[in-house]
This record gives sequence, structure tokens and C-alpha cells, in this order.
Amino acid sequence: MQIKIILCFLLQVSAVGITAAQKADSLKKDSAKQLKEVVVTGTRTQKSLQQVPIPITRITSEEIKKKGLIRLNEVLSEQTGMTILDDPHGQGIQIQGFDPAYTLILIDGLPLIGRTTGIFELSRITTNNIDRIEIVKGPTSSLYGSEAMAGVVNIITAEPAKGLAGGLSARYGTNKTADLSLNSSYKTEKFYISGFVNRYSSGGYSLETASGIPTVSPFEGYTLNGKTSYKIDNNTTLKLSVRYYTNDQDSRFLVDTRYAAGTGTEKDFNIAPVITHRFSDKVFSTLQLYRSTYKTNSDVRYEDDNSVYDQTYFNQAFNRAEIQNDYAIQDNLKLTAGLGGQYETVEATRYTKLQSFTSGYGYFQADWLPVKKLDIIAGGRYDAHSVYKSQFSPKLAVSYALTDKFTLLGSVGKGYKAPDFRQLYLNFTNAEVGYSVFGYEEANAGIQRLQQEGQIESVLIDPSTLKRLNAESSTAFNFGFRYKPTEKLYWTANLFRNNISNLIETAPIAIKTNGQSVFSYFNLNKVFTQGVETDLSYQLFKPLQIAGGIQYLEAYDQDVLDQIKAGKVFTKDPTTNLTKVIKRSDYGGLLSRSKYTYNVRLNYQDEKTGINTSIRVIYRGRYGYKDTDGNGIVNRADEYTKGYVLVNASLSKMFLKDAIRLQFTAQNLLNYKDSQVILNLPGRLIYAGLAYNFNK
Amino acid sequence: MNKFKTLSLALCSATILLASSCSKNNDTPIVEVSKLSTKTVADLDGSTGAVYYSLSTGAQVTGADTATNKWDLKFKSTSIFVNSGTSGTGTTQAQVVSSTFETLTAAPADGYKADATGANAITGWYTYTADTAPQHAILTVPGKILVVKTSAGNYAKVEIISYYKGNPNTTTADFADLTKRPASRFYTFRFAYQGDGTTSFK
Repeated sequence: MQIKIILCFLLQVSAVGITAAQKADSLKKDSAKQLKEVVVTGTRTQKSLQQVPIPITRITSEEIKKKGLIRLNEVLSEQTGMTILDDPHGQGIQIQGFDPAYTLILIDGLPLIGRTTGIFELSRITTNNIDRIEIVKGPTSSLYGSEAMAGVVNIITAEPAKGLAGGLSARYGTNKTADLSLNSSYKTEKFYISGFVNRYSSGGYSLETASGIPTVSPFEGYTLNGKTSYKIDNNTTLKLSVRYYTNDQDSRFLVDTRYAAGTGTEKDFNIAPVITHRFSDKVFSTLQLYRSTYKTNSDVRYEDDNSVYDQTYFNQAFNRAEIQNDYAIQDNLKLTAGLGGQYETVEATRYTKLQSFTSGYGYFQADWLPVKKLDIIAGGRYDAHSVYKSQFSPKLAVSYALTDKFTLLGSVGKGYKAPDFRQLYLNFTNAEVGYSVFGYEEANAGIQRLQQEGQIESVLIDPSTLKRLNAESSTAFNFGFRYKPTEKLYWTANLFRNNISNLIETAPIAIKTNGQSVFSYFNLNKVFTQGVETDLSYQLFKPLQIAGGIQYLEAYDQDVLDQIKAGKVFTKDPTTNLTKVIKRSDYGGLLSRSKYTYNVRLNYQDEKTGINTSIRVIYRGRYGYKDTDGNGIVNRADEYTKGYVLVNASLSKMFLKDAIRLQFTAQNLLNYKDSQVILNLPGRLIYAGLAYNFNK
Repeated sequence: MNKFKTLSLALCSATILLASSCSKNNDTPIVEVSKLSTKTVADLDGSTGAVYYSLSTGAQVTGADTATNKWDLKFKSTSIFVNSGTSGTGTTQAQVVSSTFETLTAAPADGYKADATGANAITGWYTYTADTAPQHAILTVPGKILVVKTSAGNYAKVEIISYYKGNPNTTTADFADLTKRPASRFYTFRFAYQGDGTTSFK
């Protein structure tokens, strides 16, 4: 019923504006064709996609729309070499075998904050009103600093078209999931202003319907976005962008035999004023200010007597000022240099007091083309921090065009991830189980306090002897090619290897009198990830494009490999339960890493009727998700999930000279579910969508 | 056809020969110089309370003998006690060594502990799965060999194999199903007992 009402409403609204609905989409198409495929994320300057010497993926808004995708998690889940992880803390992205904490999420180059145990919930981001998404894989930390060890996802918002433009879009379907957007913009020669409102809500779902407990609880989120720009003169531009996101989610779950329920609220606010000035043909400067806040609040109570089960809040703020200068010394030599300062704070239930970080950084990059075919980019970044050791992250990247159609690229660079607030300042005791976790800076005081309270049975590691927590760091190697023999074929491949050291893990530092442990954080493990990724797309005949990609991935803990080599890792034979020694080939590597993932994409666009059909098949190979034989690693068949296939499809038709798009979208058509292990697959999802745009 | 017959005949006889020779070995362990005896104990029943075992006699200890130093190991739910300190009148000590049963060819010279309050000599032989499938199961940890120095000063190595009746495969759907899971506190373990007082398990 609801869907009908919404559709009716939208049809009426669109009918009003039909006359104005002329050129919107067709105009966009023309200009898109003329533009070269430019990317900015890899170097923080404009570069052609074919030339930039690091692995980069560019997804256009048009492509996203054709597939009927709306939220960022939907878009990224279909990309070669990217996997959305299923985790109770949110849907984050795995790139080159790295956990979600190691990929930076940016909007127009500015970092988004608000992670839970390192995971950034990607469904928070709407792809409404974007121009494209750029994904850089590998060592980009030399430009972006901490967290960009695995890569960067940069959402580039759209610049409005001239005149008055606007639009409406709606998608509704399974689980009462609704996404509504309202856009408008106005642009003159010197000035533009644009904004949108987006509402994203869902009735949630339960994979165990009999239990009455939702797997994902109902939620309702809003995004408000505004952007404005004013050209003072030909050389100077002022820009301001503001984004606000809020989400309310109900929760209900079972605690022993009692039900607890409540609401959690999430608020995310960004404001970014920018001034750019061209001093001369050669010198261009950008001064950027940025403030971002992220707040959560949750109040969960027992249903029977309304007593408090859990009341928490979390307030984080991030402030940055940065200046970047681009200096074109010659046509073939461009320098980029930047300086910045950051101030970050966090205040939360699980922290003793308001904690703050101050950091400063400088970065430098030279982009040199000694000959036309060779592009060398060398750069580095230095980060000085108030709490942990300073970091230097250098990078060298080279591309060489063997022919006009074939480019080789290779890069080597260092990345790092700073210890986060949690790892430094957490002060948390689990009320039900009774264990405690202290951040590095809190460990000494925490142990002393517990000792005074008589809660410590024995101290395993004297907290005063703890080594200062260091940033996690990696050295990354990428080597690949781009091949574009004709306009119809595009083939890329990339070999990668990441050596990661000083991984921060928890380890017990004391035993409490209740038999539970006190944990703190240590720089412990050395791991590596390596693999190969390739993607190919081919325009088979005019309306039909076929494409596909594969990633092969290995991710191992070096310490475990050494232990296996020494014959010190064991398993139990499941049929006899007798101990066996594990061989190298038995070791399944790090949790949640699929060795094989692939996708196949078909798109059929009929220009005459305006009908577009898109089918995507996404395979995720088996991956380890638990340890049942007690050796701490994945090795036995029962410790893996099964591999699975998702089929997503969409069918759309354009009406009224491309002003209206009517669309049906299906995700997980084969209705694959694994209620025990994979909690972010609710089964088959069917949506109907309608979008209308005008421009005059 | 003939070829097949001869082949299958040969295979059959080979299997029989192999099987018989195997069982011979099992029945009479070679006791030459060493006094090593190896035994697998199936389903020692601890379901109604603590159960006591003597490694030297290879038999369960019951009744009044449980108050003496005639037993070496006591199984009670997920705890394994040795006959010493806070657990018994004897001087049995133990430690847990990371190894397979077969490759542990000698007992360590030192490192043995008696039981004390909150600090048993034998720990870490099992994991509890909690909410991970198979839920709420006690699974034996691989590579945990208990090395016991008995009250008489003889050494034994012990591998705990199963906590459930019939030593079930714990990776099956039936085991994961709590209504089909076999009864717990039935201990299956194997041990080698060296009666000559040396540390050798050869």
C-alpha cells in the first residue's frame, strides 16, 4: 500500500514539472563525453585516469544510477577487490585484505569520522548528488595521513549545472526500506548554491524470525547537505559545504531471560570552508578549514521494570586547518606541498575524561615527466603527534606508457595508522562478564585503582614497564597495467603486497580475583597480505557491455607461519579427536579473508527505448570465521563459511527525454542467507524506484 | 576378469595381514627394557560426580581409596586435579606441554606443580565455545599434553580426547544441536605410563 501512495505522489509531483524537464540528463551525458576521465584522489591534483601511476577505480554517478544503487555500501560491494564485511559493528570495507579501519572515507577529499571498533558504517553515506567515487588502493598515506593504509574512498560531489535545477528520487521495497531525496541547485557565472535532503529508513529484518529479536533493527536517517561557491574574481573562489546526518535506530535483544530495548541516536556534522587562489599561471593555493563532529547516544532499558541496561554516549570532534600549494615549475614538473594542523577530542562513557590529540603535518609531492611516456611521482608526509611517535611516510610511484594503449604502473610506499582513542584511553569494564580493558595511557592508573579495590589476583605485566604504543605501519608494493586498445575494451591488473608490522592487539596484563583478565593494547603482530586483482570490461556490441573482475588474496600472520614452521601449531582430527601437527597448507590465514572473489557484470542499454538492463553476479569465496579446535587459527573445514553468490539486477526506463527514470532493482535475487554467520544478508531485496530531474 | 580376481584377492589378503599384524601390536605392547604401557580410556563416567583414576594401575579408583594417594588424576566437570596440595594427600604433580602425543618422547625434567587454591597444575586443556557454533560446547584443545609425575615418582603423558560420551565428532550438525549432543562429563583420554622411573616415553 505504502509504495503505491508514494508512487502516486511522485507521479503527481513530476507531472507538474514536465515542461521544464527537458535537457537535464541529456545535457549531462554530452558534457561527460567531452570531459577526459580525470581523477584527483591519487595525487591530490587532477590527473588523467590512464596516466596516474597508482591503482585507482573511478565509478561514475551514471553507472551507479543504472545499477539502481543508492547507499555507499551497495556501490562498494559490487567492486572488484572490495568486500563488505559482516560485523555487528557495521558494514565496513575490506581492501587488499585490510580490515575496514585501514581505509579512509572522504567526501571531496575531507575525512569522515565516527567509527565503531574501527568500522565506518558505509550505509551512512548516500550517493545522491555525487559526481563520482574514486577508490585508490595501496599506499596513499603519504598524502592523507593515518588510516589510509589500505586505501582511500573519495566521494566527489556533483557541481551543479547552470541555471535552476532540481530533482526528486525515491526507492522503496523489501523490509519497508525507503530512500527519498530532494535536490535543488542554482548556478550563475560566478555563484552557485546546491543542496539536498535525503531520508533513508528501514523496518529492519530478523534472520531468526521465531526469536522476535531483530538482526537489524528499524532505523530512520536523514542527510542534509548544502554547498555554495562564489567566484570573487577569475583567480579567487570561496566555497562552503555543510553536511548533517542523523539516524535513530531502535534496538531490542535478550539479556539472559529478560528483554531489553531502547533507541540509539547517531549525529554527524561536517562544515568545510575553502578559499582557492591562483597567484599566477604556475602557482595555485588552497586554504581549507574543516570541522567534523560525531555523536552517539544510546539508552537501553529492561522491558519488565524499565531499569537501565545500558546508557552510553560518545562525542568526537575533529578540527583541521590545511594549506596546499601547487606549483607548476615547468610543463613537465609539478610540485605540491601542504601544511596542516589538527585538533581532535573525544568524550565518552567509556573514557575517564575528555581526551584530546594535537597533531601537525607537512607533505610534499613532485610529479615529473622526464619524457612524455614516463611519469614519476615522489612524495612524503611527516606527521608529528602529541601522544604517539612521529611518522614519516614516503612514496614513489611510476607509470610508463609502453604504447598509447598500454601503461605499466608500479609504486612503493609506506602507510601508517595511528593508535586511536580507544587504544590509548579506553577505560571499560564489562558488567556482565567482568573483564576490563584499558587503553595504553590508562593502564597504570587502572591497575592501581583495581589493586586498591582488591580486585587484582596477579599482575602479569607491570603497566609501568609497558612500551609506548606505536603507530601500526606498512610497506606496500603495487605493480600493474592499464590496457585500452580500443574504446570498447579496458583491462587493468594489479599485483600487491603489504607488509604490516606493529599491529595493535589486546593482551592480558593482569588476572582479576573473579578469574577474568585485564587487557591492554600492544604492538604485537606482523602480518602480510598479497594477491592479484584484475578487471576487464568490453563493449561486445553497441548496446551490450560485459565486464568482470577477479581478486586472489592471501593474508597471513607471520608469527603463526613461524610457529607452524617450528611444528608448534596443532589441530584435532575431527573423526578421532587426536592431536595432529598443522602444515603450512592447512593454515587458512586471517579471519574474514576470502582467497577468491569475482564478479561478472552485464549491461544492456537500448538507446531507442531508453531501457537499461543490468545484471551483476558477485561471488565471495569461503572464508574463515571462527576457531573451533582451540589453536587460535583457521585451519579446519568447520571453521570456514561456504562461498556464496549474490545476483543483483536492475531494469530501468527513461521517459520524457530522460527527465524521468523508472527503475526496478533486485539485490540477492537467489535469496542467499546464512542466519548463523552472515548477518548483513537479509535475503532477496526488491525495490521500485523513480527519479525525476529538471534543469532550466 | 582373472586379473581382477587375483588383484582383489591380493588386496584382501594384504589388508587382512596388515590388520592382524596391527592388532597384535596393540594387544601386547613391546615391553623389553622400557616399562612403558599405553592405554586409551573411553568414556570414564564423571556424569554423576568426581571420578578418580590411577595411571599406574590403568584403572578407576573408587570408594575409600579416593582418600588415599592411590589415584593420580581426578576429573570433575571441566576441572582436572592431581593428587597433591589442595586436591589430595599424595604428591602427584603435573604440567601441560605443547606437543603431539606421539612426538613427546621424554618428560621434562622440571616444571611440575602441585594443585593449589585457584591454581591447578592442569589448566587450558579445553575451550568453551559460548555463543559460537557449536554453542556451549567444551572442546579439547589440540597439542595440550598433560605430563604427570605420580606420587611414586613415575612419569606419564596424557592426552584428553573428548568430554562427551562416545568421543563424538564435534564438527557435525548433530553435535551442534543441543538436543542431539551426547552427554557431557564422559572423559576419553589416552596415556603412556613409564613404570621404570625414567622420563623416557619411548
